[in-house]
Amino acid sequence: MAVTQREHLAAAVRAAGLRLRPVEVDALLPAWRRYRDLVEVFLTASRDDPVP
Amino acid sequence: MTVDELCRAPIRVQARRLRAGRVSPVELVDAYLARIRANSRLRAFISVDGANAARESRRVAARLARGDRSPLAGVSIAVKDLFATRGLRTTAGSRILRDWVPESDATTVRRLRAAGAVILGKANLHEFAYGVTNSNPWWGVARNPWDPTRIPGGSSGGSAIAVVSGLAAGALGTDTGGSIRIPAALCGCVGLKPTYGAIPLEGVFPLGFSLDHAGPLTRTVDDARLLFEILAGRRLRPAPATAGLTVGVLRGPWLDRVEPGVAERVGAAVDGLQAGGLRVKEVHIAEMDWTPAMQLVTLRAEASAVHARWLRRRPRAYGTDVRLRLQLGMLVSGPEYAAAQRARLKLRAALQQVFTRVDLLALPTTPMVAPPIGLRSIRWSDGSEPVDGALVRLTQPFNLAGLPALSVPCGRSDGLPVGLQLVAPWSEESRLLAVGELVERFRPGEPDYRISR
Repeated sequence: MAVTQREHLAAAVRAAGLRLRPVEVDALLPAWRRYRDLVEVFLTASRDDPVP
Repeated sequence: MTVDELCRAPIRVQARRLRAGRVSPVELVDAYLARIRANSRLRAFISVDGANAARESRRVAARLARGDRSPLAGVSIAVKDLFATRGLRTTAGSRILRDWVPESDATTVRRLRAAGAVILGKANLHEFAYGVTNSNPWWGVARNPWDPTRIPGGSSGGSAIAVVSGLAAGALGTDTGGSIRIPAALCGCVGLKPTYGAIPLEGVFPLGFSLDHAGPLTRTVDDARLLFEILAGRRLRPAPATAGLTVGVLRGPWLDRVEPGVAERVGAAVDGLQAGGLRVKEVHIAEMDWTPAMQLVTLRAEASAVHARWLRRRPRAYGTDVRLRLQLGMLVSGPEYAAAQRARLKLRAALQQVFTRVDLLALPTTPMVAPPIGLRSIRWSDGSEPVDGALVRLTQPFNLAGLPALSVPCGRSDGLPVGLQLVAPWSEESRLLAVGELVERFRPGEPDYRISR
């Protein structure tokens, strides 16, 4: 079964030791999505580049 | 010149008059305290140390009478409330530290006092310096002196307000993504972020250890030089001749979104540099396109490392925006942080390469003038952008690279100040300030500093 982005975020929050209520996880979700989108593109673009 | 007028004069002028006995530090400090009270609606200060400032001014008066020649003898300075001050509450703009009274001064504060400065109080800032609007939920929403319905910028917003409104002769700030240069640009004063490590951060509450810088906010570039030398504890090389230097004007997609009025003022300032004998060349640095991701990953991880314990135990002691940023920072992975640091190396190498072709860089400090308080996103012709992200877009690359950068007022758009940002190679503050002074000299039609009352 596919894990939703919200479930992924909730698991990451727990793993980081943050005790958030469901409503607080919901509040993080939009900013976390924007972060994931930006970082995924950045990681893809910078992969395998030689260190100067 | 009346004492009230002197409150708005450059530090050099004040220091000269104080040494000549033409004004007493007691009078000057009293005048500043009165001005701070009269302008309290701007929320420039979190704590004002009136009794101690008055006591200190009397001590300095006695020293001046004995012939003291200290460079800042009797000069009143505002200190961002992120710097530890002995015996004076240091909140970092937070509720968590609302009762913290340090037992010793930050190194920078100690150096200012040793140079004869009187510390007036602690300037307002974005909570824990983690934001650029300076809408502080615990200590008041700081307001732009040109239009109190607009933000002053941050996180050193209180410091900029104090300088621009004549509530202090100069101020101390910090800059992790633009926190000195942004409020300097939006309020209309000079802001210097020196080379990484040039000014010690001992006794300054950290935000992102690899991005944090301390520096001055002043009314003139010459005052920035004076404070830099005191804060850094060393003399700068003599100012180089500016004629014949080459200015690289940065271009690229990350610079496409700039308000026309800001672009026009910055363009005019660059034209002025050209008229002053500098050569101008367009420069494109591809690595700049990735600076938002590098900064976001680096700062979120480093800030969360500082706050992890409090964040787990008492998350509701933070304001909403800062709590959200810190919580997201707890989710940054090791590989993401490593990729960001690797990209920073490439950015530094690219900049080093560019500085073999040009002597300094020029670009707007911010892409827009001060936005209204509470505005969340700015609309461009090709879409919208969060205000926080837009404000740091042009400043954060130089925190990532650690290079010295200066914001100098270069006129106004829609009646609001615009800042020109100049960037120099590592440790070339002297060159940066020399060109900054040139901009200041021919700034077209720029009147006096903002006078609130």
